[in-house]
Amino acid sequence: MDVSAIDRSATSGTGPLRAASPRVKLAALGLVLAATLVSWNILVLAAIFLSLLAAALWGRVKLRLALGLAAYPAVFALVFAFASAPDLMTATVIVVKAVTSALAAVLVVLTTPYPQVFAPIQRVMPGIVGDALLMTYRAIFILAEKFSNLLRAIRLRAGLRGKSAVRSIRVTAAAVGGLLLYSVDLAQRDYDIMRIRGYEGALRITPFRSRSRKADVTLVIGSVVLLGASTAWRVESSALNPYSWIVVLPALAALGLTLLLRKGE
Amino acid sequence: MSHLHIPDGVLPLWLWGLGWLVAIVAVVAAGVIAERADIRRRVPLLAVVSALMLVAMSSEIIPIAYHVNLTVIGGVLLGPVLSIIAAFIVEVVLALLGHGGVTVLGLNTVVIAAEMLLGWALFRGLIAIFGRARVRPVAFVATVLALAATTTMLVGIVALGGVGASARESGALDPSTLRFENPFAEGVFTLGLFAGGHEHEGEDHGGEDTGHEGEHAAEGEHEEAGHEAEHEHEAEHEALASDSHEEDAVRRFALVVYTLGPIGWVLEGLLTAWVLGYVSRVRPGLMWGGRWARSGGRPPGDEGTVN
Repeated sequence: MDVSAIDRSATSGTGPLRAASPRVKLAALGLVLAATLVSWNILVLAAIFLSLLAAALWGRVKLRLALGLAAYPAVFALVFAFASAPDLMTATVIVVKAVTSALAAVLVVLTTPYPQVFAPIQRVMPGIVGDALLMTYRAIFILAEKFSNLLRAIRLRAGLRGKSAVRSIRVTAAAVGGLLLYSVDLAQRDYDIMRIRGYEGALRITPFRSRSRKADVTLVIGSVVLLGASTAWRVESSALNPYSWIVVLPALAALGLTLLLRKGE
Repeated sequence: MSHLHIPDGVLPLWLWGLGWLVAIVAVVAAGVIAERADIRRRVPLLAVVSALMLVAMSSEIIPIAYHVNLTVIGGVLLGPVLSIIAAFIVEVVLALLGHGGVTVLGLNTVVIAAEMLLGWALFRGLIAIFGRARVRPVAFVATVLALAATTTMLVGIVALGGVGASARESGALDPSTLRFENPFAEGVFTLGLFAGGHEHEGEDHGGEDTGHEGEHAAEGEHEEAGHEAEHEHEAEHEALASDSHEEDAVRRFALVVYTLGPIGWVLEGLLTAWVLGYVSRVRPGLMWGGRWARSGGRPPGDEGTVN
């Protein structure tokens, strides 16, 4: 997981998704998740996935990064599907559901700075939870970089060799132990600095305002349409299932259109 | 494998809703206790331990679909109250990064918190029996037992909720009715997308069809009364088949996790044993701080607890 790439994508760059209000994006995420939750129709789920791809292109999100992150849960979903699904169709639906809902969440994270994503949680949870959430996200960057440097240093000194798995675990454990102690020192120093700067138990976040009303409206309408279609095809499955292919067409059209627009830019 | 890697929409609403409820109550209670106990100055420690767990959980060991959790290390260092908050934080960030579903976030928090609490309790209990000289074997045993217990919890959750698509959930997952049909021309062109589509033409079976093509083809020859009796029989047959499928699926799921899981438990046990052994040697105050602190002097290099 390249956390720095995620953060770069969220904080820099342009595009309608980054200009939209974080609240609207979170609400749209909720609606799209509900659409994925409701549907067991492979074509409807494919339409939601294609719509999300179109949204990613529209929002100028790096597709490779978004799809790479969204594909991660597919490995675990495959294990679950293999273990529990009665047939290939159900197994495919389980994996598609995992990737689709992951892509929806990833699109929000790739286009919204993390304090804005955590702000709603901070408002409803005790102060300590919100503060720790913000500090954790910051600490991930430091630890991931430090851990990668440590492993590189160990490799250069031939500490990690494929032949001896036990030795490799031992060396990795020493690296994790060192990293842990470094993190504790870092945490202590962080706390001291925060106290000096006036921290008294609450980090405050000023919510971002939307920079594009059009993007907000598009997101809300799009996600409501997806939820509506998903619900209709679930409730009236016996009548609508033969026409499921229809749902895929607008999603494909949206994807084609955004591709054309991107190429034209 | 200790937390659920189940996509959104597979488990029933009552189960993941209950998971959310339990998790929120536990996290709010832990937050209130933490603020009352004035352990706010441990927030940075909570953050770095959570971040460490996140970094570990993001590195998958592909052949066995396992990732290291470092939950027992987190539990030992944070204690029970902060462990619950750490579990929630880790799951929120993982869900936002697409690793695990949003709906199962509550259940995942409960499972991870249970793992941390159990790991902490087992580690402390075993250390009280065997002494501080045996940190490594104790950490290994505590980790393996905690992971085995939470994996069993995971299988229990899956068994409670039912796995995959059952008759309850899969109304729209009927391959026999997924076809390419023209809504404006009453079947001017009709292509069977999946096997068994054509036999349904002209029939109105609602959501009861489950792909018994032979039975449906024969239905046209029966009288109305015969239809009803057959439908009743079919419904009973489907209910029995669904129950049997559920049992089989849970058994298969348990078989997979209990086959792949132990390899991961041993790996994680070894890693935890060495890390905690290293920490207890280099910075013992971190592990034996607070009420666990010895009254005697500290060994060289021990700067004491962060408390």
